[in-house]
Amino acid sequence: MGDPPTTRHFARFLGDSYWLGVLVNSLSLGVCVTAVTLVFGFPLAFLLARSETRWAGLLLLLTTFPLWVSAVVRSFAWMVLFYRGGAISRLLQGSGLVEPDFALLGTFAAVVIAMAQVLLPIMVITLYAVIRGIDRDLEHAALGLGATPLATMWLVTLRLASGGIVAGSLLVFSLSVSAFATPSMVGGARAHFMAVTIYEQTLELLDWPFAAAIAALLLAISLVVALLYGWLVGAADRSTGRP
Amino acid sequence: MTSLRNGLGWLLWTLSALGFAYILGPLAVIVASSFGDTGYIAFPPEGFSLRWYQAALTDPRYVGGFFISLRLASTVALLSLVIGTLAAVALTRLDFPGRALLEALFLSPLILPTLVLAVALTLFFASTPLLPGGTPRLIAGHLLVGVPLVLRVMLPVLRRVDRSVEEAAQNLGASPIKAFLLVTLPALRPGLFAAAALAFIFSFDEVEMALFVGSAREAPLTVVLYGAAQMQFDPTVVAASSLLIMLAGLLMLLQQVFSRR
Repeated sequence: MGDPPTTRHFARFLGDSYWLGVLVNSLSLGVCVTAVTLVFGFPLAFLLARSETRWAGLLLLLTTFPLWVSAVVRSFAWMVLFYRGGAISRLLQGSGLVEPDFALLGTFAAVVIAMAQVLLPIMVITLYAVIRGIDRDLEHAALGLGATPLATMWLVTLRLASGGIVAGSLLVFSLSVSAFATPSMVGGARAHFMAVTIYEQTLELLDWPFAAAIAALLLAISLVVALLYGWLVGAADRSTGRP
Repeated sequence: MTSLRNGLGWLLWTLSALGFAYILGPLAVIVASSFGDTGYIAFPPEGFSLRWYQAALTDPRYVGGFFISLRLASTVALLSLVIGTLAAVALTRLDFPGRALLEALFLSPLILPTLVLAVALTLFFASTPLLPGGTPRLIAGHLLVGVPLVLRVMLPVLRRVDRSVEEAAQNLGASPIKAFLLVTLPALRPGLFAAAALAFIFSFDEVEMALFVGSAREAPLTVVLYGAAQMQFDPTVVAASSLLIMLAGLLMLLQQVFSRR
């Protein structure tokens, strides 16, 4: 602690192909999770926002229910499905596509699937708020002028919701890069992610300066994303004339 | 536009239904397999029994962990509520230089990853005799997020409150403190409830800081489950998780009842 300042811990992380792989793994996780949450989150948020039945409120409530449950419990649920004798691993074994003793637990795909489920409610509520704010007359006008539903969706709805899509994506990306419980539990011992590495270096190997350097990189990623978020959301507010 | 008659409508409906099942499915799997009668974790469950609930409810690690978490989260919620609300009152009613900066500073922990805060706290507490180790330090760490959560709820609530009613009470002879307690505080109640609930749930569900700065002898339930899921992986963990899901459902129901009033 009393040593002179040094950049060697950053150099060790960024100069080694193994550690760079960990960084790339974390960033890829962020990209994949963002993509999955968009694919399922946008349709769900769209239908919930546009539904006029009294069930919509209940469905929105149920969609956000997992946020009341600890990420530890939600990640454990995926361990139950993904371990060697778990329902999803057995389905894959039965399909003959994988070896008989295959387990999805511990793979990158497993972490993406679990992480996306943990963050999907956050994507849905972010998009829901934006889609609720879209003036539906613009869509009706496009349809009335002869645009197909697909063209209306592409040219009007998605365009108007783009600010929210970007905001939700940045939020989910940042949260999945820094998440710990899901990569650690679903990724298991082979989980080479920054968050898990920070845990191992701090609590198991006690290499605090190295852990602090990785945490600082994680912090830098989060701050860049937060600045982008603030800048883009601010720009969207300015362009629509809202305060 | 979303009618089922066109292809786009079908696609949206299908993806929504899948997304909905994706969000809730894993929780349903836990609840369903917790009632199984096998000695290992099975889904679909085989047989029916409550013996794993009995096992979880008589295991001192889970029961102890639950009460540690309950005490921790209640303390964090109460302290966050007091500190956060007082800070919100000061930030909305007093005008002093650096007010906006202070507000941004107060809210800033919300954009920091909890894991980064956990590492920072580990290093910080290692170099200071401040606070005894274990739970007091964990409470301090949770307040770092709990106070901003309360502040974020209470700032807009306080900005919306009609000051003229409080001024009327003062004109009628109430002291400023009495006017605040009797007039403004009741109007803040729904906000206070929501803010306390947020801080409570954050603290109860949080695992990173609990692993990093909490003590192993006083492990909150999330830490117990985190360990058991990897070391033990038997139906007791499933039953304990299922109980937590049911508890969350109960809390959500209560929150709905309270916010409807």
